Amino acid sequence: MADDGTTRGQFLSLSTVGIGAAIGGVIGVPATAYILAPVTNEAQFQPVFLGKVDQFTSEQGFDPTAATYVEDPDNPATSPGLAWVHSTGKSNPDWTAADAMFVVFSNRCMHLGCPVQATSQGFQCPCHGGAYNTVGQRIAGPPIRPLDRFQWVIKNSDELWITQRWSVDFNGDGKVLYFPVKMPGQPVAPPGPSIVADVLYPNVTYDHGAVPQAK
Amino acid sequence: MPIPVPDGKQLVLQTEDWVEYRTGFPTLVRKFLFRKVPPTGWFHTLGSSLLTVFIIQAVTGSLLAMSYNPSPNGAYESIRYITDQETLGWLIRGMHKWGASMMVILLFLHMGRVFFYGAYKYPREMTWLTGSLIFILTMAMGLTGYLLVWDERAYWASVVAVNINGTAPVLGPFISKFLLGGPVFGAQTISRFYALHMLMIPGLIGALIFVHLWLVVKLGVTPWPSRPVPDEAAGD
Repeated sequence: MADDGTTRGQFLSLSTVGIGAAIGGVIGVPATAYILAPVTNEAQFQPVFLGKVDQFTSEQGFDPTAATYVEDPDNPATSPGLAWVHSTGKSNPDWTAADAMFVVFSNRCMHLGCPVQATSQGFQCPCHGGAYNTVGQRIAGPPIRPLDRFQWVIKNSDELWITQRWSVDFNGDGKVLYFPVKMPGQPVAPPGPSIVADVLYPNVTYDHGAVPQAK
Repeated sequence: MPIPVPDGKQLVLQTEDWVEYRTGFPTLVRKFLFRKVPPTGWFHTLGSSLLTVFIIQAVTGSLLAMSYNPSPNGAYESIRYITDQETLGWLIRGMHKWGASMMVILLFLHMGRVFFYGAYKYPREMTWLTGSLIFILTMAMGLTGYLLVWDERAYWASVVAVNINGTAPVLGPFISKFLLGGPVFGAQTISRFYALHMLMIPGLIGALIFVHLWLVVKLGVTPWPSRPVPDEAAGD
């Protein structure tokens, strides 16, 4: 054998390390990919039927009606959702209009995701005392942004459906601004350039269409 | 001539020799248990109390796993079955539940003892570090175990816990999806927490306890902290 400067012992040590690394990779790479795969899963919002329109229109004062739905049809036991349907007494069926007939709030508190309860003053969260007014704006407690809202549509002339979830903020004039959904506890429009904000607080990866503008 | 019958003591010694030549365990046990230690007090019992509680948790947890059903529709019912129907199920579950709280309390006391004795200093830094990892993993056990009861409090407390992780900048939504096993709370969440709670984290804790104990034996028990007496400091 030609003397190439490598002893038999060195070769075998190196081979042992190499084969060991290969075996580790064969186990480790698929295991890591398997456990991390859900990170790339995208949430899909399935349009869902909330109830007949006349169930929601008898509201007196501010007294939104609770409507339950299932967020993920594959996991009905673990993804119950609840929407608070507030009937405004107006009649415009365009959900983005200023005089829209309904405002459909998500009951997910924007502090850490507990379910908020409707009161005559607005909404109240049982977990850590977050409170919102009748348009879903935070008035007390730890939440950092208004309640999410649902895009809704009336199908077959009398069925109220929700078709998408949007995170919400208000501009100086009290006009509603819509944003792609973010986790509870994350600001929708943090200060600073938006690219930095998007990196700091990535959207939950709902497959949403164009962001609506309130009229 | 009668056959010589060894007396009891001889028999024990011969058996020990037999095992010693083949495994070396008697020496190992002797070195582990019969060590020289400085004067100690009750505070030094916290570590072994923790080990005892960990063993209780491992045993009762394994027993609970025999009847537990980690699925959204079955988890709560199986816990009720364990508590109300099974013989001594209430006791085993109670031991596991109270043991969990005891473990966290003892862990803080043990950590406090180590801190105030200065026992984390040279040469015991690695003992402190492995202990810190055990501390973090014990907290993870608390988090993952809390969900498994699968009542309203368990569900919403876990929603809050996942969302706390979700508020982290940059990685928040990814950490939350990692914990949930998907974008929303689902059947995969409870089985994921179950696997973490009863296989992965306990295995890691067990391995770290082994390293931790190895270091305790190798480096010896920390004596009472004391200020050098002036004469000694002067090299008298």
